[in-house]
Formats: sequence, structure tokens, C-alpha cells
Amino acid sequence: MTFDFRILAMMLAFVTLAFAPAAEAQNRLGNTELNVPATLLAESQQVQAGQTVTLAFLMQPKPTWHGYWENPGDAGIGMSFDWKLPAGVTAGKAQFPVPDTLLISGIMNYVYKGDYAVLVNLTLSDKVRSGPLPISVKSEWLSCTDEICVPEQDELSITLQVVEAESSAPIDKRFNDFRAAMARPLGSEATFSVSDDLFRLSVPLPANVQIDKPYFFIKEDGMVDYGAPQKFTRDGDRVILETGARGDQLDTISGILKIGDHMGFLFTATKGEVAMTGLPLVNDGAKAEGSASLLFLALGGALLGGLLLNLMPCVFPILSLKAISLAKAGGNESEVRRDALAYTAGVVLVATALGAILLGLRASGAAVGWAFQLQDPRIIFVLLALVTAIGLNLAGLFELPNLNFGNKLTKKDGTAGSFWTGALAAFVATPCTGPFMAAALGATIVLPPVAALVIFAGLGVGLALPFLLIAFVPAIRSRLPKPGPWLDSFRKIMAIPMFLTSIGLIWLLGRQIGTDALGLSLIFLLTISLILWWFGGGQMKGLSRGALTSAAMVVAIVAGILALPGEDAMNDQKLASSSSATLPSEPFSETRLSELRASGEPVFAYFTADWCITCKANEAAAIQRTETADAFRAAKVAVLMGDWTRPDPDISRFLEKHGRAGVPLYLYYAPGAEPVILPQILTVATLTELVNGPVQSAMLDATPQ
Amino acid sequence: MRNLPSVAFTAIAAIALASPLAAAQKNGTIAQDFKLTDVNGKTIQLSQFRGKTVILEWHNPGCPFVSKHYSSGNMQATQKAARQQGAVWLTINSGAKGKQGHMTGAEAKALIAKQDIQSTNYLFDTKGVVGKAYGARTTPHMYIIDGSGILVYQGGIDDKPTANPADIKRARNHVLAALGEIKSGDKVSVAQSRPYGCSVKYAS
Repeated sequence: MTFDFRILAMMLAFVTLAFAPAAEAQNRLGNTELNVPATLLAESQQVQAGQTVTLAFLMQPKPTWHGYWENPGDAGIGMSFDWKLPAGVTAGKAQFPVPDTLLISGIMNYVYKGDYAVLVNLTLSDKVRSGPLPISVKSEWLSCTDEICVPEQDELSITLQVVEAESSAPIDKRFNDFRAAMARPLGSEATFSVSDDLFRLSVPLPANVQIDKPYFFIKEDGMVDYGAPQKFTRDGDRVILETGARGDQLDTISGILKIGDHMGFLFTATKGEVAMTGLPLVNDGAKAEGSASLLFLALGGALLGGLLLNLMPCVFPILSLKAISLAKAGGNESEVRRDALAYTAGVVLVATALGAILLGLRASGAAVGWAFQLQDPRIIFVLLALVTAIGLNLAGLFELPNLNFGNKLTKKDGTAGSFWTGALAAFVATPCTGPFMAAALGATIVLPPVAALVIFAGLGVGLALPFLLIAFVPAIRSRLPKPGPWLDSFRKIMAIPMFLTSIGLIWLLGRQIGTDALGLSLIFLLTISLILWWFGGGQMKGLSRGALTSAAMVVAIVAGILALPGEDAMNDQKLASSSSATLPSEPFSETRLSELRASGEPVFAYFTADWCITCKANEAAAIQRTETADAFRAAKVAVLMGDWTRPDPDISRFLEKHGRAGVPLYLYYAPGAEPVILPQILTVATLTELVNGPVQSAMLDATPQ
Repeated sequence: MRNLPSVAFTAIAAIALASPLAAAQKNGTIAQDFKLTDVNGKTIQLSQFRGKTVILEWHNPGCPFVSKHYSSGNMQATQKAARQQGAVWLTINSGAKGKQGHMTGAEAKALIAKQDIQSTNYLFDTKGVVGKAYGARTTPHMYIIDGSGILVYQGGIDDKPTANPADIKRARNHVLAALGEIKSGDKVSVAQSRPYGCSVKYAS
């Protein structure tokens, strides 16, 4: 059961309704009781000439009944409006909220089961005189249950007041919820193609926008087979749909891409070429078949990826020595097998655990990817210390005694030792997964959690596979070179990839914490190395310095971690290194805007959303640029940023006031002047000319034609 | 394991259910042949009317959109005009037992008498097999098959998708228009339109 926010909002609206009877319109003219009754509401009871006021048809289906979207689907009928308006008043197009699908016996219906509101904007000309403004509309709609349909109609009316001055009447807060349920204009155009009875649609949507149970509602009839299943894939910044076609008579279509409960984007699409590329998205869980084949494909990818990981510089040394030591153990078959199984268990457990943590973090909303553990400098530091220690060990600086944790990494055998070797291998191998694993890991994001964990386990099995083969196929084991003096040289050579891994980690650490903090970390790393050297020296002299060494190691590592910059510093570092802070901004609010305007500062306000490709492109190309930031700083321009990623009623209303149904919107307020609406495609020059305008134009004027 | 057959059945039903609209008949191709029983229990086969124009009409007496065309006499007049032209009119009811509009033979006969329905035969498609094969989605949903068995029209009865009988006189009756064009040897100018009305009340 998903939590239906809209229904809750409507229920709250009802409570409000009970306390505000005066705001209700006159309606219900001698009708028998309707199954989907309609109520006409106005956002404000007062309106000025030359302004717009939004009306809502609040539709409240009785239980089991539903109303229809503007395109009703295979059967059913949309809503009609016959307005009686005073002179100088015009009604805009009706705007419908994001609908739901209702499939009955293969017949697809686009419906609303709960309460919903249809919005219409009334625009008054400048000539409308003050006084009462009677509005009346005859509307027809179809009300249905899953079994029967009843055409219903009502004549609704409401009387608004035309006022001279700014309206003082309160704004009906329910309209915030009504607007939140509407599809929002995407701002960029989509492409569609029809061939061989297949309809394909490619919609620009940034790759990081979460999609849940996507569905495409087309407004025009005759193009799409409504009842056919819709298959979705994601390829970078595009969502691609394939479904059954009905015809190809149109060159332009429009519709809503629904990507979650009451969350959808409105766009138009023109005819073009669309190929089904990218990763399949699993739609509404019903397509278990598609999901299963995706699972097998991804599992294969994970196995192969795990297998290849054995060749990574961070894993190969650990593994090759372990393999040879297995061969050395030689005779005792059962012991070898037990070791191999313990190793496999270690690998699979750590791979699955990392996967589970990743899924958990994702579920909690954090944007993390595979190798997320390498995003925390503390973990990188521990890993760096560990890899360096293994490198020093391989180089022969010291030998590992039998006692401590992880001590049987390479040499002495034992079930526990094998297990930890496996765990370590999996842990250090994850950052090396590389692009060939990306597809399989990407699939884990769209698969149900259990299936995703199976893929992570598959990665582990792949990583452990060569080891299992060596243990269970004696023929392979006998082919391995016999241990001898050469093994010592081989071991020392294997220290090289280990140190290379260290360098890689140092580089990574430096990027995250900056070079100052990195220097400090390296000092601690040196301390650790020196302690190990001293320990190795003791071993050669036959002295036991194990306890002291362990204590000193722990101190050095803990000190190293503590010396690392905190979370905040790290975020600062990230901000400083990312382009998003090139032009700093404050969150947008109308109050802040009027404050800045009152103090006579020039203001640049921009409205964006994470799902808006045009917005992101403009930000990268024009707004978040040093040239722009310098020019704005010199001219003391205040920057306000409105984020419309989630529906925000204040921003929605502000956009509407500026004649925009959606983002992007770029406004420049020169002190004391009317705001300038900037073009939807920005360049650095457009922005810098705003503040350097007079100079530039003077220069242009002086230039002979 | 008692559930296994029912699971298998559901799976088959689901496949059957997902296919009908995709398998809808295409204009310009031979309309799929079928056999259905009429109100008297007589078997009627589509191909037995080869040589004549055949009109298929999906029907549900409980649907307000069907009522619009019957209480106004529009559908009966269209049926009469078609038959006078030598065409065969088959009214098909795909309503499943227990669903709105389902009738027994006797009930249907009473309705035919009461409303003076002029179709050649009134057929029952209780299992919905023919309805799904033709992709019939609404009542009414109209199909015209020419003398050589080729589907030449599918869609609504007219172009005013309302339940208001007053709209009929302002509407273009797609079936009468197509029949006129077939009679004078012309190509059907509107060969496809959006059917409107209640959804067909299939069994599953």
C-alpha cells in the first residue's frame, strides 16, 4: 500500500472546507445525486482587471467510482466545458492532474480514483469594470465504476469580485495541493518514432532523476495502443519507451511521463529516429519475465566481472601467493578444499555486505555509487595503511607472525586466515570494478533488493572462482609451479602492484582532502611503515616486538584518522572543487527578492530543477562560469536560486505570474527597473552584458556598420 | 499443488488478455471469420455473408451511449438504411454473464421487439473471443466489412462523443457515410475513427 499524499491533502482540504462555507460557489441545480460530484472553487474571491484568477473543478468520486483524464484511453470520455462568461473574460485550457491507469479486461482507462481537481485560468481584460463578476459553466463528464458508466453533468457558478486595488482576499490554500498534483512542463522536447507497429519515445531526463513505475500518457488518440505493455529503458540523460503503435498520422504529439505517485512531466514530442538503447527499467513488477532475464544477464556480467577482478593490481598479489601456498599444502585435499571454501565465504560475504550497505544508503536517499566506501577519506586511509603494509610484507620488510588479526593473509594457512584473505580481497577489489561492471551494477538499482543482493554475491563468486577451481580440480593444482627459491623473488615482485595500488589510493585521498591534509596523512603512513620496519628488524634478531608493534600501529592509524579533515571540511573541498559553487546563490523567496529590490541591489533570479536538462545545460554553460561570477561580483549582483525539483507552491505561483508553466526561468532585476525575462538558452555573454550592458552597447554603437 | 492448474490457467488468461488489442483487425485486410449463436440458438458464421457488405455493431443495452442511439431511433434508422442497401447487420453482445448488459436469448428477443431493433442477427459472444479478436473496446463500436471480406471501416458510430441525443443531428454518421461511399464504388474516406462509449464488459 503506497501512501497517497494527494488523498491526504484532499482530506485536509475538506476540513478546511467545513470551516469556510462562505467561499463556496452556488451549484447543484436540480441534479439527482452525482457519482462524481463537482464543486467550482476560485483561488481568490477577488481579482483585478487585467489579471488572471485560477478556478478549480474539485471532483470527488464516490468509493469505487472514477473520472477520466482528457484522453480517456480505450473507452470513456473526457470532460467538456461550456462557459458563460461576462465580456472581457476568457477561460484558458483545462489542466488535468497526473492520471492513473486502470486496466479492465485488456481495456485501458486513464482515470482518477480519488478526489482530483481540474484547473482553469480565467483572464480578465483591462476593460473589465469593478464589481461582481458572475461566472457560470456547464460541464459534462463520464463517471464509471469498473462495471458501469453514467454520463454526468452540472451547471456550476461562482461570483467573483473585480477590485481596483491589489486583492486583499485570502488565497485558497487548497490550490497548492491542486497544483502539486499537476504534471509539470519538462522544458525540453522529446522525440518519437513509429515503425513496424512499434511506438518509441525518447524523453530527455537527467540520469540521476529517480523513476518509479514509469508510464506514458499520450494526449492524442490513434497513435498508441493504450492496452499494450510499456517497456522503458534509460540511456544516460534519456528515458526511452517502446510500446504498441496504432497509427502514425501525427508529426507532433504531447503527453505526460509519469515517474511516481502524482509526479509527472508534460512535454511535446516530434517525429524522429528513436533506438531502444540503455538499461531496461522494470515496470510495475508485473513483468517478472523481463526482470528474470535482466537478472540472469546482470548475474552473468557480475560473475565475469568478479573473475576479471582477480587480475587487478590490488587483488592479484594477494591471490597468486595464496594460490601457490595452496599448491604447497599439496597433499591434504580436504584441508585445501576447506580453505578454498572459507576464502569464497569471505569474498561473497563482504561483496554482499557492501551491496547491502549500498542499497540501504540508496534507499535512505543518499546518492552513492559502487565503491562508495572510497568516498570516505577515513576508509581510504585505513585501506592505504593496509595495502602499504601488505606491500612492505611482500617486499620482505617483515614477516607476519601467527597471532594477530589478518595475519595469515599470504603465508600460513588456516580456515580463518583464508576467510579474512577473501574478505580483504573483496574489499580492496571493489574500486577496481571498472566500467565493464557498470551495467550489471546499474541493474541492481532497478531490480528488487533480493535480486540485487544476488548480483553482488555473484560478483563475489566470480572473484573466488579461480581459487575454487584450483582447490577442487587437482589437475590445475598440479600444473601450478612448485614452490622453490624463485617464489621469494616472485613475492617481492608482487610488492610492486601493491605499491601501485597505494599510489592510486594516495591520489584519491588527495583529491578528497586536499594536499595539506594529504601531507599529514602521509606522515602517519610513514610512521606506520617505520613501526613495521622496526618490527621486521626485531624478527631478524629473533626479538618479539609483536605486542608493542600492534599497540603502536593502532595508535598511528587512529591518530591518522583523527588528523583527517572532518565531514564539513570535506564537503567544502567538494564544493570548492565542483563547479556548482562558482556562482554562489541564496534560496529564492519572494520576501527576500523584495528585500533586495528595496535595498536597491541588482538581482539575478534563476529557477531550476534536477530533472530539467535545459536548466542544467544553461548552468554549466553560462551561469556557473568564472566569467559570469566575476562580472556579477564586480557589479554586486545578488543571486537567488529557486529549486523546483520538488513541487513548491510558492515557486509555482511565481512562475505562473511570469507566464511560465515551468522551469527554466531567468530574471534580471536592474535596480528600480522592471524585471527582464532572459531567453531560455543562456550564454555567458547574455549574462555578463546584463551588468556590463551600457559599456558594451556603447562600444557597439561606436562601431561603424 | 492444488493451485497449479489455476495458476497455469491464470497465466494463459493473462496472455490471452494482453493480446486482443494488439491482435485487432486491420483495415484493408480480410476480417477474421467467426461463428457465434444468435438469439434463437442458431449458429451464424461471418463468411456465409461473403458477397454482401457486413456491419458489426457491439452492443450493451445498459450503456447510456448505446441508449443515446436507440432511444433516439438513430441506430434503428441506420440499420434499416443499411439493410435496404442489401447489407447484413450483425449486432454482437460481448457482455459476460453477471456483467452489465448480459442477456439471455429470450431477454434479447424481448428487447429487439421493444426497441424495434432492425439488425439481421443479434449474436452472443459471452466469452468475448470475437470481441477481443476485433479489438472491440466500446459500446457502440462499429466495423464494416465489404463484399470481398475486407475490413473497410472501424470506429465510432459518429463524430460526437457524448451521451446527449441532441448531438446526433449535428453529427457525421460514419457508418451511413461509409455505406454511401461503398455503394457508389468510392474509397471509404473516414476508414478509422475513435470509438466512444462504455467499455465492453468482457469476462476477464
